[in-house]
Order: sequence, then C-alpha cells, then structure tokens
Amino acid sequence: MYEAQRALASPVRNPRLAVVTGRLLGAAFIVCFGTGLYSHFLQEPLPWMRFPTRPASLYQITQGTHIVAGIACFPLLLAKLYIVFPDLFQWPPVKSFLHLLERASIALFVGASLVQITIGLINTYQWYPWPFPFREVHYALGWVLVGLLVLHIGIKLPIITRFWNGRAAAEHEATDAASDVESPADVEAVRLWGSGRPSGVTGRLIAWIDATPSFVSETKTVSETTTVSRRGFLTTVGIACAAVVGLTAGQTFAPLDAVNVFGPRKKGVGPQGLPVNRTAEEAKVTASAVAAGWVLTLAAGGVERSFSRAELEALPQTEVELPIACVEGWSQLALWRGVRLSELADLVGADTGASFRLISLEERGSFKKTEMGPEYVRDPLTLVALELNGETLDLQHGYPARMIAPGRPGVLQTKWLSRIEAITA
Amino acid sequence: MNTAGMTTARATTALPHAGDRRMRAARTTLILLGTSGLLFGLYVLFDTVRITRLPGVALWIGAAIVLHDAVLAPLVFFCGLLLRRAGRRVTGTIVLVVQAAIVVGSIMTLIVVPAIVARSLTSNNPSILPLDYGRNLALFWVAVALVATVWSVVLYARSRRANQRPSSRQS
Repeated sequence: MYEAQRALASPVRNPRLAVVTGRLLGAAFIVCFGTGLYSHFLQEPLPWMRFPTRPASLYQITQGTHIVAGIACFPLLLAKLYIVFPDLFQWPPVKSFLHLLERASIALFVGASLVQITIGLINTYQWYPWPFPFREVHYALGWVLVGLLVLHIGIKLPIITRFWNGRAAAEHEATDAASDVESPADVEAVRLWGSGRPSGVTGRLIAWIDATPSFVSETKTVSETTTVSRRGFLTTVGIACAAVVGLTAGQTFAPLDAVNVFGPRKKGVGPQGLPVNRTAEEAKVTASAVAAGWVLTLAAGGVERSFSRAELEALPQTEVELPIACVEGWSQLALWRGVRLSELADLVGADTGASFRLISLEERGSFKKTEMGPEYVRDPLTLVALELNGETLDLQHGYPARMIAPGRPGVLQTKWLSRIEAITA
Repeated sequence: MNTAGMTTARATTALPHAGDRRMRAARTTLILLGTSGLLFGLYVLFDTVRITRLPGVALWIGAAIVLHDAVLAPLVFFCGLLLRRAGRRVTGTIVLVVQAAIVVGSIMTLIVVPAIVARSLTSNNPSILPLDYGRNLALFWVAVALVATVWSVVLYARSRRANQRPSSRQS
C-alpha cells in the first residue's frame, strides 16, 4: 500500500498545492453555504427575521453567486481530490481510534461534497434522479459540509499554517528534501508528498515514466521542472474554472450572455422574452386562471374585498423594473406594471406592520401558499403585476395577476394569485 | 487526529511554547465547532427528511465515494500514465498543454452530459435547457483541441529554435 502511495507521487501532489487548492475550494464552499443559507431563510424565515429589500437585485446577486461558486467547485474539488489521492492508501489504514474518526470524517466529507455539488447542478436542469427530496437534503448537507470543513481545517491546521505562505513553503520543501531523515513532525507531509524514490515493480514503472528526459533538460534543474508542472496544474485548474463558469454564468450575468452555451437557461428565451420555472400546465391552472369569474381577494382583520382584473386595472398603476431571480440561479430583468401591494393593503385597512399570506390558484405545490414580511409588503416596488414588458401578463408568467417584489426568490413571486391576506399576530 | 498533530501535542506538554499553545487552542476550537456543525446538519437531515428516504442519501454518498475512488481516479491515473509515456518523445511543456486540454474538456463534459440527458427526458417547458448542448459540447472540444494544437506548435517551434543554438544559453 505504501508502495502504491509512493507510486502516485507526482510533483503536484504536495502539501503546498493541497493548501492552495484547499483555500480556493474552502472559500467556494463558504460562499455557497452563506448564499444558500440566505436563500433558505428567505423561503423559510424564522418569525423575527426581516430582510433588506435593496438593492432590488440582491437575490439575483446572492443566488447567481451560489450557482456560479457551486459550478466552480467541480474543477476545484476534483483538483483537491487529485492532489490528496495517495492519502487513500496510507498504511496501516487505521492507526488509532482517533485516526479512524479522522478517516471516516474525510470519507463523509468527500462523498457528501460530491453529492452536494452534483445534485445542486442537476437540480438546475430540473431533473431529479435521486431517491430523496432535494431541498431538505441540500440544506442539511450544507450544514454537514460546513461542519466537516471547519473540522478538517482544525485537523490539518499545522500543515495549513506551514504551507500557507508560498516562500516559507518552498523553504520547508527544500529542507525536507535535503534531509533524508523523516522527522516525526513531517510524517504527514511526507505521506502527502510521496518523497523518496518509489520501490518495487510499480515503483520502477513509475520511475521510468517519471524520468521523461525532455522534462529535465541540461539547462533546467529538477526543482525548476517541478515548478513548471505545478504551474501547469494550477493553470489547468484556473482554465477549467473559467470555462465552466464563463460558459454558464450568462444565464444570470448579462455581460456573459453571448457566451452562454451551457447554461440551463438563456436570457430572452421564454414567453414574452422571459424564462419560466413552473408552467401553467404543471401548476394545473390552465382553466382556473382564465375563468371569467376570477377575482383577487384581499383580507385584513374582518375586512375582505374582491377585485376583478378590470377593477385592478382601474386602480392607479405603477411601473417598475425588477429582476425575476430563480433559486436555480438564472435571472432576468423585466418591466412590470400593476398595482402597488401597499396601496391594496391600505384599501382593506391592513396594519402597516402586518405580514401577508399569498395564495395561488395552483392546486398543489410547496409554494401554493407563501408568506411575505412587512418590509416587502410596504416596499413601493412591490406590485401585484398585471403586465410584463408592455403586454398583458402571459398565462405562463402568472395571468391574471402575480406578485413581483424586490430581492425575493422566484418561487416566492407567486403566480396566478387568488387571495392575499394579512396574518394576524 | 494525525500523527503529526499528536506529536506536536505531546511536545507541547513537555516544553510549553506560546505558539504551540495557540495552535492547540485553535485546533480544539475548530474541531469542536466543526463537529457541532456536522451534528446540527445530521439533526436537520433526520428532522426534515422522512426516515424511509435516508438510506437513499447514504447510498448516494457511498456511491459517490466509490465512483470517485474506484473509477474516476484510476481512470485519470492511467490516462496520466499513457500521456507520460507518450510524452517521452516531446517537450515537457507540450505534455502539460495536452494534459490541460484533456482535463478541461473532460470536466466540461462531466457538467454538460447530465444536461443532455435531462433535456432528452423533459419536458413541456421549452424555456428549460433551450440550447443544443450536444452540439455546443462538440464545438467546445474542437475549440479546446485547436487552442492546444496551436499552443503546442508554438512551444515545439520555440524548443527547436532553442536546441539549434545551444551555446548561446550555456555561455
């Protein structure tokens, strides 16, 4: 096993690169966790929670970042796993109970990370080939992973601090290479590093392959060659990150729209030039939404008033430019026209501090009923929208009336509104 | 806990040192904090996901480990072997360029293939997965191959020029 581990030795499999890619991957994980947590609490707020409504594109930014950082995790995680792969073959496999715990935590860390980014990605394709609910598992794994990340940093802290700084790391490597004796404190480093010549059949094979003569020319020392292949490795990871991010991020980041060739959504594609998350057919509202007797009912305290679409159109109209920003990471700016929710709330005499419950015509679905805090209800940009981009709202976008509020996830911009009621505390 | 860490910890008790004490405190804090995050995550998992669905979660995590450690990593290793063997004939940096091209193309494939599959399965919503991902992926590979080829030719020409005038570099 030790032989196998040594056989995997390569100039890029060293603690310094493990720290360098680990830092980037760790940062990406933290960004995903933070933005994910924000999105989670927007959808399931604790009673005391209030959220900023400006900038109006806040959710577009946080959730766009969530997806972009998540996609960048693919090359970063694979790079990190490539670097530390020889660790899998450490011998003896288990040295103590603590060591067993450490290895178990690493196994869970690797497995859960791979599952997390995979289901996150495939969720953006609206494909659910797994035997568990996405939202709950993705959220729980977020906590599991951030915990394991902090735990991992705690366990590896001596190596991380030792190889954090590039110049100091190079000095350490030089000293370690100079001394044949493996000092006990460096065992971990040597384990990762695979320093020393490989032995046995595998070792000889690798030695032959490693001894690519053109790599070591007369004018280049071995250490320069090592530097070249390390730089090559990091450049490759950088290019891979740039490619996976650059060619998908156009679904939310307008300047990259032209090179959006792999994003699951495309700006401008959809009814009225706007993508659709859940169709009227899926929501089973194709009949109820176009029914002649449709009214929007507003209720607060004992007061209840119903408005037909014509009555809503007769009220003062406001035009706002707000993005629709989906949890799946795509977003698009659009022009909405309709009645301010705050003005409707005043018509039924709702308390200014009241939260509202929004109820859709959809027959079922986790977002049939949602809640909206007073900071959104009273925001002048929050509309019961009747028009989109200068036309009557398309059925797919929530005809006869839908919510549009600043800084909220798309699933909370309730389509096919049926009832809006103040929640009495 | 790794061997290095335990050695450091034992050394600390014998010879107290401010840096070691700080390191030990930081590690203890991080390990406790991390463990509580992990436990909270597991609690959320058990609290929100029906118990009959949990084996599915475990299965996917286990399968991910097996898929990476027993399929993907060995595959990458043997590709690396082949490439290094082939690379004995050309300049090292050219091997790196070819390697980079294969890695970048493969990672993109890994991300785009599920989109191709998902597109063939769904749906009555034409605004999901509206692009021709198969064609775009093929074009991406062509572009990567082109860039890698041009880059390699430049490197090759440069190394030949350098080899023709060896004395100038040694002086």
